[in-house]
Amino acid sequence: MIKVRSPQDLWAGVLFIAFGIAGLWLNRHYPIGSASRMGPGYLPMALSLGLVIIGAMVAARGLILQGPPIERAHWRPLVFVLGSMLAFYALIELVGLAITTVLATALAALATREPIRPLELALLSLGMAAFSIGLFVYLLKQPVPIWWFG
Amino acid sequence: MEILANLATGFAAAATPTNLAFCLLGCVVGTLVGVLPGIGPITTIAMLLPLTFGLPPLTSLIMLAGIYYGAQYGGSISAILVNLPGETSSVITCIDGYRMAQNGRAGSALAIAAIGSFFAGTVSTVFIAGFAPALGAFSEQFRAPEYFSLMLFGLVSAVVLAHGSILKAVAMVLLGLLFGLVGTDVTSGTARMAFGIPTLMDGIDFVPLAMGVFGLAEILTKLERPPETRDLVAARISSLWPSREEFRRAMPAIVRGTAVGSVLGILPGGGAVLAAFAAYTVEKKVSRTPSRFGKGAIEGVAAPESANNAGAQTSFIPLMTLGLPSTPVMALMMAAMVIHGIAPGTAVITAQPVLFWGMVASLWIGNLMLLVINLPMVGVWVRLLKVPYRILFPCILLFCCIGVYSVTNNSVAVLLTAIFAVLGYVFAKLGCEAAPLLLGFVLGPLMEENLRRAMLLSSGDPGVFIYRPISAVLIGMTAVMLLLIVLPQFRKTREEAFQE
Repeated sequence: MIKVRSPQDLWAGVLFIAFGIAGLWLNRHYPIGSASRMGPGYLPMALSLGLVIIGAMVAARGLILQGPPIERAHWRPLVFVLGSMLAFYALIELVGLAITTVLATALAALATREPIRPLELALLSLGMAAFSIGLFVYLLKQPVPIWWFG
Repeated sequence: MEILANLATGFAAAATPTNLAFCLLGCVVGTLVGVLPGIGPITTIAMLLPLTFGLPPLTSLIMLAGIYYGAQYGGSISAILVNLPGETSSVITCIDGYRMAQNGRAGSALAIAAIGSFFAGTVSTVFIAGFAPALGAFSEQFRAPEYFSLMLFGLVSAVVLAHGSILKAVAMVLLGLLFGLVGTDVTSGTARMAFGIPTLMDGIDFVPLAMGVFGLAEILTKLERPPETRDLVAARISSLWPSREEFRRAMPAIVRGTAVGSVLGILPGGGAVLAAFAAYTVEKKVSRTPSRFGKGAIEGVAAPESANNAGAQTSFIPLMTLGLPSTPVMALMMAAMVIHGIAPGTAVITAQPVLFWGMVASLWIGNLMLLVINLPMVGVWVRLLKVPYRILFPCILLFCCIGVYSVTNNSVAVLLTAIFAVLGYVFAKLGCEAAPLLLGFVLGPLMEENLRRAMLLSSGDPGVFIYRPISAVLIGMTAVMLLLIVLPQFRKTREEAFQE
């Protein structure tokens, strides 16, 4: 029975191996060329191979040396922070900066375990919208649309 | 006295009303960022990049640099007053700084930190002025093999000097290099690893990567921890003036800290953080009463605070002279220079002397500004610390999104940032430092180009890196760095230095 002594190392190693294999796969069609005339595949292939090798060493160390456990992941910050970013991505070109900022700020604010009062939430998201429009659109003259028209 | 003439040009360029105003703005924003935990110079500079698009190159570099060293000043304020490191480079200041505050010496700790930083800023500015042109002139002999060896040395020392596991850091560098190669290959025109996505054809954009892996991943990990208790009780500031005894103890520590910081700042991977840690260790070693450390020894504030500022400034040297970014912040500065059409490297000093010397002069002007504005404004900064994180982080998050969107003018970049945020979060969970990844990413395309060119010139003979003398020295230094890791003695010191 193999015992995992350092889960952080083991999984970091697995992650590196995965990236290395992905690199090898994605670059499989590009010509490697020779040392004097390197093709587009030369360095990516070499790096990916290196990742697989080092990844294997890191993973092996996770089975041999004692290490700290992986801290538990909390779903709440992940869901709301990423949700807020995805909302921004989906909405910005659709409805403009004003509405996007209000919604994305409100979503983000839900990511903490600390309770947030509805009034505080409203003030924060409206204030954030007003501030970012003032700063980015009027002061910095960035080409970001405020509304869905215009 | 060429230096004096050059510095005069620099001061004339830096002291225009616009440049002074943006220097001040950079310093104030930097201090703000330094005071607030959870937002660092990397995120801020990435966020404010769009702000500089409309500005002349010198003005924007002055402001961005101000943010970086301003953050070193600001970090000490929260470290001393509330025992929270506002910046990673101030972690070490918490130990003795906060104890001093508890002993009622907060004012004197703040004053010593500011004076030490100013002294370090002045010395390192002179150091840059004297050292950079020589290095720049020397590096004019560099060709493809030398550049490749130099970057190899940079990456290897970044790995050796980074926190945590060396093996993982190597893997992170490789991954960064691989990410750097995404997009169209300049030589053959092949789009590599782009999944047919137009945004990726030009390569992964630097800002989403830096912002995701650093800024947003930090938000994600920070939100998982219970809210910090910010004890502002100790923040009573009685007198800002240190006693004569404190001065006597602090002055040599400031000088030593500055020396340690200036040297370590030049090393790739060094920068402000390593400088502060090393300076503290040095102080403890030379002190006749090491037991005072951890109980409010003023040297424990003076040395690291001088060192982090000196290190922050001298880390500009490799960027400005060799085009080699040694820390993530310098990688961002490089991105900013490229956006403004300046190729960082040997040519900057000779081709754009006004830009280079103006930048050097602004470093000193900015430090002077920080000394003058910071101490009287401590009250304002402390009040800012009372803003709870639950209010602060949605604002940071949104600024990041809007920043990324306006830099790239492409909503897909926001999606990319979210993906990198998840990646950065996973790395943090698995104990992988992200800084080597970012350095590898920036150097990836440059290294490939120089490697290809060197190998083409030598018709495929890797000996080219050893036959050429400068390259051979660099390869030799790289080998020494690698040997250091194997030595058990060095390993032990390295672990100790980061554990304190």
